[in-house]
Amino acid sequence: MHIGDQELVTILKKENNKELAFQLLVKKYQEKLYWHIRKIVLDHDDADDILQNTFVKVWKNLENFREESGIYTWLYRIATNESLTFINSKKKRSMLPLNEAGDYLMDNLEADAYFEGDEMQKKLQKAILTLPEKQRLVFNMKYFDNMKYQDMAEFLDTSVGALKASYHHAVKKIENYITVNE
Amino acid sequence: MDELNNIAPKLSGIKKDPPFRVPENYFEDLPARLQSRIAQLDDTKKEKPNTIVRILKPALGLAASFAIIFMLVYWPLSKFQGKYAGQNQAGTEAVDENYYSLVAGLDENSLYSLLQENETEEQFNDEELASYLSTTFNDYDLFAEIK
Repeated sequence: MHIGDQELVTILKKENNKELAFQLLVKKYQEKLYWHIRKIVLDHDDADDILQNTFVKVWKNLENFREESGIYTWLYRIATNESLTFINSKKKRSMLPLNEAGDYLMDNLEADAYFEGDEMQKKLQKAILTLPEKQRLVFNMKYFDNMKYQDMAEFLDTSVGALKASYHHAVKKIENYITVNE
Repeated sequence: MDELNNIAPKLSGIKKDPPFRVPENYFEDLPARLQSRIAQLDDTKKEKPNTIVRILKPALGLAASFAIIFMLVYWPLSKFQGKYAGQNQAGTEAVDENYYSLVAGLDENSLYSLLQENETEEQFNDEELASYLSTTFNDYDLFAEIK
C-alpha cells in the first residue's frame, strides 16, 4: 500500500485511523531514519533507542506539526536532534570535555558486534569521528546518502554554500587522516 | 565522483556500502514494538489527572498535612489554653473588684476597728505570755514598761 506524505499527514491529524496511519509512517521511514541515526551514534542499541524516541516524539507532537516543511524533513530534524542530545548526555555523564565525544563513539565502534566492514571502512569511520559534529553530519549525509545540498540545508537549517564548504573541509581532513594512518 | 577522485583519491577507493548491519528481523519487529510502547504511553496518559493538579499534588498534600496537624494539635491546645487563661483572668478581676469596692465602702474608724478585731482574736494564756515576754524583752525593759 503506497500512500503519499500529504495524505499520511491528513490521516494522522484525525483521531480515527490515526494509529494505522502512524504504522504506515513508521514502516515508510524507519529504515532511512535508522541509518541516519546509526551513522551518528554508530552503536546499534543506541540507534534503536534513539529511533524509538524519535517516533514517540513524533506521535506526541503530531498536533503541533505545522506542515511548513514536509513530514520527512520534520522526522529527519527530530532524529538528528535526538541523536545529538543523546551524544551530549553521554558526554555529560562520562564527564568528557565537549570536543571529546569522539572517544565515546570510538569505543562504540570498537565494541559494536554489528560492525561488519573491512579495515579500510573502520579507518574511514575513525576518520569521520575526528571531525567536528556539524561536519560529521554533513559528510555522512553527502558521502553515504548522496543527499542533495538543498535538502540538507532544510534539515540542518544552514545555507547551501556553508554546507558545500563544510563537506569540502571534511573530505580533505578524512583524506589526510587516511594518508597519515596508512 | 570525479571531483572526489581528484581531491581525495584514497577516500574514493574505499567501499561505500554501509559497514553496519542490524539484528535479524529488526525492521520487521520495530513497528510492533513501537506500537506497544505508544499504547503504554497512552494508558499512562489516561491514568494521569490533568497537569496542574499533578504539579500541585505534592504541595497540596503538604498543605493538607499542616492543616491536619493544626486541627489536631495546635487549634485544640490554643483553644483550651485561651479558655483557661480567660477563666483565670476573669476570676482575678472579679476578686480585685470586690476587694476594692469593700475597701472603698469602709471609713477609717471601721477599718481600724476591723483590724483591731482581727488582732484581739488571738488568745494567750499566762504561761505563753510570760514566755514571750522573757524571750523578747530583758528585765530592765519590762520594769521600765510597767513603771
